[in-house]
Amino acid sequence: MSKGDRGRERAAARRIVEQQKAADRRRKVTIWTSIGVVMVLVLAGLVGFGVLSNQDKETDASRVNTPSVAVDDGTAFAVGSGPVTVDIYEDFMCPICHEFENQTGPAIAQLVTDKKVTVRYHPVAILDRASNGTQYSTRSAGAAAAAAVDGKFLEYHGVLFANQPEEGSDGLDNAKLIELGKGVGLGDSFATAVNDKTYDSWATKVTETFASRGYNGTPTIVVNGKTVTGPGGGLPTTEIFTQAVTAAAG
Amino acid sequence: MHRLTGVTMDLKQRPSRLAAAWPWISTLARLGLAAVFLIAGGLKVTDLAASARAVNAYDLMSYDAAKVVGAVQPFLEIALGLLLLIGIATRLSAAISAVVLVIFIAGIVSAWARGLQIDCGCFSKGGELTGGRTAQYGLEILRDVGFLALAGILLWKPRTRFSLDRALLGDS
Repeated sequence: MSKGDRGRERAAARRIVEQQKAADRRRKVTIWTSIGVVMVLVLAGLVGFGVLSNQDKETDASRVNTPSVAVDDGTAFAVGSGPVTVDIYEDFMCPICHEFENQTGPAIAQLVTDKKVTVRYHPVAILDRASNGTQYSTRSAGAAAAAAVDGKFLEYHGVLFANQPEEGSDGLDNAKLIELGKGVGLGDSFATAVNDKTYDSWATKVTETFASRGYNGTPTIVVNGKTVTGPGGGLPTTEIFTQAVTAAAG
Repeated sequence: MHRLTGVTMDLKQRPSRLAAAWPWISTLARLGLAAVFLIAGGLKVTDLAASARAVNAYDLMSYDAAKVVGAVQPFLEIALGLLLLIGIATRLSAAISAVVLVIFIAGIVSAWARGLQIDCGCFSKGGELTGGRTAQYGLEILRDVGFLALAGILLWKPRTRFSLDRALLGDS
């Protein structure tokens, strides 16, 4: 074997060793970065879980001011005393809810007067994202609860829809909410409750109950436990609604 | 003779040109997928209650389970987005992204099959579709399949530019 041959062999052997070392290093880096990825994801999941448990404390029963006049597990305000129960889940920011009130509100008022239905209004807050961070849905639902405590729910419910802000706007500020309350005869205790957000966490709780009952959208109209919708799952017409009430009355 | 050499040269050049382009294609796929997850997670993380309602709207689990999934999911999406953005263990990150996307697609398909009228909540706190709006399941699935394709590119060719992987492992 010549000198040159031996040198070439040695160089080749060195190359192989280096290649193996490099492959080894690549494997190690891949393993450690993979472990890192999994750990980051587990950590992120735990953070989410922690934030959730923290938020759950806020809606814990002991912390929520449930209005004394609320019915149905403290989630609604009842109007009327008829045998058929009508549950209406509404968000004061929701235009279709406003439409439903305009369209079917008079018929509902008549049914209440005729003592045919008991209407339970559930003010939910699912459109907080649509008020530029001012959480109008929660604030208005909380204000409605304060109005209910002072015996003016239906009146206040009416003016909130009559003065409904545009979806995606800042909504009405607290001063305006209080002013509207004064218009229907609400006083200082109402104003204090609005400014102190006394019933805001209650609104969150009502919204949770709404979701846990499997409802997704507003308005959700339920007659004696049965959801009433229009054709294609949309808003029911007044006719469809009154038919559902008549059917439920038997 | 002339023609033949011409052909062989072309054959040699084309694959090498494509080979040079792959890291750049993969880089775009990686950054695109990172943006998808960061935006999707970022939009949900500010309102976990809404995120829970969006999950609950699929009607696949109890509300309490939906609350946990709804709270954990945005944080996972953001973490996955950040991991893809820095490009660490790209193949694994891409595999996890693909699994997550397949779960999302399965969820939408099942909602569609059951005739639910919901917002997929992919890029919103979604869930509730107020009267009048109809669900757009076909488009939502098509979009997610597009994202799945990005994950597929990364699974197949995980080497990318501007990545931590490249800094640690070099070009080889």
